[in-house]
Order: sequence, then structure tokens, then C-alpha cells
Amino acid sequence: MIEVKNLTFSYGKDKQALHGLDFTVEDGEIFGFLGPNGSGKSTTQKILTGILKGHGGEVSLFGQDISAAHGQEFFQKIGVLFEFPYLYANLSAVDNLNYFAAFYPREQRRDVGELLDALEFKRDFLKKPVSSYSKGMRQRVSMARALVSNPRLLFLDEPTSGLDPSGAVLFRKIIEQERKKGTTVFVTTHNMMDADLLCDRVAFISNGNLVALDTPKRLKEKNSNHRVVIDYLYQGQRETKTIEAPELEAGIPFAHDEIISIHSQEPTLEDMFIQYTGRGLS
Amino acid sequence: MGKGFCALFKKDWRMLVSGKFFLMAIGFLVLYTAYVNLGYIRFMQMPPYNVYLYDPTGTQTEKSPLVQTVSSMEDMDAALLADANGVGLDASTGEVQVVLYKGAEHVDRHRADYALSLLRPSVSPAPEVLGANTPEQKARKEITCELLFFELTAVGFLGIAAVLFKEKGMGVIRVHAILPVRKDLFLLSKLAVFLLSDLAFAVLLTLLNVGFANGAAVLPAVLLQTAILSLMMALLGLLCALLLKDFRQFTLAYLVITIFAATPVFLSANTSIKFDWIGYHPFYHVYMGLKNAYFGTDISLAYYVGAVGIIVLLFLVVRLAFHREIGKEG
Repeated sequence: MIEVKNLTFSYGKDKQALHGLDFTVEDGEIFGFLGPNGSGKSTTQKILTGILKGHGGEVSLFGQDISAAHGQEFFQKIGVLFEFPYLYANLSAVDNLNYFAAFYPREQRRDVGELLDALEFKRDFLKKPVSSYSKGMRQRVSMARALVSNPRLLFLDEPTSGLDPSGAVLFRKIIEQERKKGTTVFVTTHNMMDADLLCDRVAFISNGNLVALDTPKRLKEKNSNHRVVIDYLYQGQRETKTIEAPELEAGIPFAHDEIISIHSQEPTLEDMFIQYTGRGLS
Repeated sequence: MGKGFCALFKKDWRMLVSGKFFLMAIGFLVLYTAYVNLGYIRFMQMPPYNVYLYDPTGTQTEKSPLVQTVSSMEDMDAALLADANGVGLDASTGEVQVVLYKGAEHVDRHRADYALSLLRPSVSPAPEVLGANTPEQKARKEITCELLFFELTAVGFLGIAAVLFKEKGMGVIRVHAILPVRKDLFLLSKLAVFLLSDLAFAVLLTLLNVGFANGAAVLPAVLLQTAILSLMMALLGLLCALLLKDFRQFTLAYLVITIFAATPVFLSANTSIKFDWIGYHPFYHVYMGLKNAYFGTDISLAYYVGAVGIIVLLFLVVRLAFHREIGKEG
């Protein structure tokens, strides 16, 4: 779906933002693109969505070079959720969605009412202006805007931003449903839980360089110390022991009366990011 | 492309309605019409100065009905004290003496000549009258032209910038970067909405203030000039809104354009004040184009070529600024 080879981009002479990125995103994949502020992820997304021109290297989407794909057909196939909910504040959710949907062929459009229902949008607010909505409601309408054209490729920038935990769970479910339909999803996020739970593969970008790319599981496994921490009771005392994971193959290798918990010492995705880049994700 | 343009046009129309733009335009139309018909025209028909005559022996038999007779010099002094611009004529000695409070010398001469001419209205030389307009028609056309120019340069310009600043603030301009629609249509739909609104305003203002018959006769030429000015101002408004950071910065640019750009044009076109450099002022030519349209005077081809050139140039600059805006960081 997306093929990027040696992608470079500069804002002026001395401001090189991207230093030769290489990655591919397969059809129907959820691909996470993680990086701290100013790392080049927004620039990459803008190049992929056709907003930014003048890059170096090769970028192709839908098997076509991005430089030749700026026509209406290209934009009909993509949906973009921006980091901020950009909506007409004086129009209602329905009017906003009808307006944005009007640019797509009728047969491609989804039903606005059904879409808002799926996003659990409060029906009382359907006809009220967006200016009266909470941040979470605006994010739901923005997601509906990105989905209204039934895109084949979906770009999501911080999709669960501004949502409460149940909203975030709903959004992840909807993104999964999109993938099941065959939509490819390119997620840019700071949220490690989203990346871990949603993405088939994640790429870490730092200072315009891709520093790691793999499945979240393998990234964590590769860097795991393969130890487990066991809390247990023995002769009325609570104790803790750290052992090598392979030692567990023959059972618990020490005397105990009751096992309370076993925790693997697997690093988190954020630990991995810091390890690869030397920087946090804030 | 047609469907995309219709969606944009409809949305821009709704933005103007919700922003009370049309309500404001109707308000201005009512205000201008009331000012022209109830104030300006009546004022223009008033005599320039009151003339008071003291003529105890009744020597001035041909005097105009505009001359007000007083019964004593004390009464004349009291009248001139209350009306310092008035002119007194003392005919008590057989020879007419002009009495007035001193002002600027050339104005005093004008006041004296005017007052004396009212004593012999039949012998005042009749000047050759140029043009086919009556004084009232001329006054109506002049003031309508000025008000339309003001409306288009100041009010319309403010309107389009306000709409775009609103869209810029909401961030929705950036969404249009990823919509399957030609980006130029975003600008063209705005220009079309404002152009239509300005043309409708020009039609109503002209018919209501110049009169239906006279107004209809000059309307095609006036609408052409309105379209030129409307497009220029709308493009300038778009450019300011795209380049300037916020509405506060825009108000400064607005002051510069409306006061420093429009004032010399009004002064040069309507008073005896002439600036050597006014020929280089683009608004002067546009204003004169509008004035010539109201008075049915021919406009040169070079003016139209220049106007089209400026509109195309402004559009290209606005397009560049627009593409820069949609590629900005969130």
C-alpha cells in the first residue's frame, strides 16, 4: 500500500527534517509511526497525504508515485484524522459531515447517521453547532469525517486524544473494524497503549531517522532480559524472587506454599523507544 | 468539479449568513439610503449662506425670495451673531454695503458675490451647463458612487477577511488540503459569494438612490466597475487574512488601507485638492472608473487591461499564500 525509499525532506537549506526513511506498509495493516515532537513524523505524514511537496527519494501509494498522485482520485481513496478536530464550529455535526462528504462520489459515501451512531455520538447534539460540543464529541465527529468517504487508506494522528477511557476503547474497536474491512491504517501517536494494542508493526522515528521497525511484541521480546518476578507465600511469609524465564519450564524451582503473582520483566514500548532514541515521547 | 464548487459555495453562503454579514449589508443599505434621501440631497438643495437685507426705503425691488429682510441694523447684527456664516446687506444709505464676520478671504469674496447676486437674480449671467444631469441627479450619482466605493473598500473587505480568519481559527482550511477538490475552488467560491453579494448591493443602492430610470440606465457600467473593485478588495482581504497572524494585526492593515489609501482618493476625486502622485494610486483609477460609470463617461481600454492584470496577479499571490497555509503545522 505504502512504499517509502530513502525519503528526505528539507525546510530550507539548513533544516533537513528527514534523512532517508525506508519502510513499507502492507495492505490491511495497522502501522504505527511513533516519535517525539519535532522528530519528522508530521512531515512524513504530510508527504504521504500529498500536502507537502518537494521531497527526495521515492514514495508510492496504491502502487503509484505520490508526485503523480495529487489528483482527485488519490484524495478520494484516503481519509485523514488530524491531531486537532478541525470542524466548522457554527455548523452542526450533521452539516459538517454532509459538507465534507459532498466532495466524494455518492456511491462511496457512508451514511452520516449510522456513522455517528457507531461512534456513540449523543443524538441530542446532532443538530447543535459544534461550538457547543466537548472535546471528545468533536473528536468523534472528526473521526466520522475521516471515515465518511470509506477510505482505503486511513491516516490517523493521535486518534484517541481527548477521549475518555471508554471512548478510547471504542475508537480502537472501530479502527480494528476498519482493518477487517481491508482498510490500511497509518497511525501517528504518542500513546503507547494505542500503539501496543492496535498496531501490527511500529516504526520509531527520531531526528528524521527511522531507528527501529518491527511488531510491538518482537521489539519488546528482543530487548527483554527474560526474567520473571514471582511473589509467593512460604511458611506464612510473603516473599519475592526473580528468576530466568527458562527456569520455569520445569516448574517453580523453589519451595513455596502459594504463588501470589508472576510478572515477566518484559520492557514496555516506551522503554524501547527511550532505549532506541535516548529520548522520551513527550 | 461542479459539485465541489456548489458545496463550497453553499458553505461560504452559510458562513456569511451565520456571521450576520448579509444583515450588516442590509443595515448599511438602509443607513446609506436614509442618509442620501433624508439628509444629503436636502442639504445640497439648501442655499449655501443665509442673506439678510436691511432696506428701510425699499430700494431693492428685484431681490430673490432667498433674501431675508430685517427691520433694523440691530436685528441684522443679532441675525449675523446667531449665524456667523450669513451675509448682511445694508441698503439704508442707497448704496448696498456688505456686512459679514470675517473668514478666509476667498470664501468671504464668494459669500459677498453670492449675496449681491441675489439682489439682481435676473441679471446674473447664466453659465453654459455641461452634461445632461440636473443638480439633484448629479448629487445623487456622486454620493451613491462614494458610498458604493466606501462599502466595497471598507465593509466588503472587512467581511471577507472576517470569514477567512474564522475558518483559519477553526483550522478547517487545512482539511481542504486532503479533500478531492481543486484547491483553487476554495478561493473561487469565496470570490463568487462576495462578488454576488456586492453586485446585489450595488443594484439596490443605485436604484434606491439614483432613481429607477436613471439608475437602470447606468447599471450595466456600474456593475462592471463594481465587479472589478469587489474582486480586488476580496482578494486583498483574503491575502491579509492568509498572511496576517490574527484579527488584531488585520485591524492595523485595515486602517492603513481604508484611511491612508482611500482618503487621498476621495480628496483628489471630489475636491480641488490635487496630489501630483495620485495618478500612481491604483484606487484612484478604480474610483474614477466607478464615477465615470455613474456619469456615463467612456473608460479607456488600458484601464481594463490594468484592472484584469491586477486581479490575476492578486489571485496568483493569494493562491501561493493559500497553499502555504494549508501545508502549515497543526
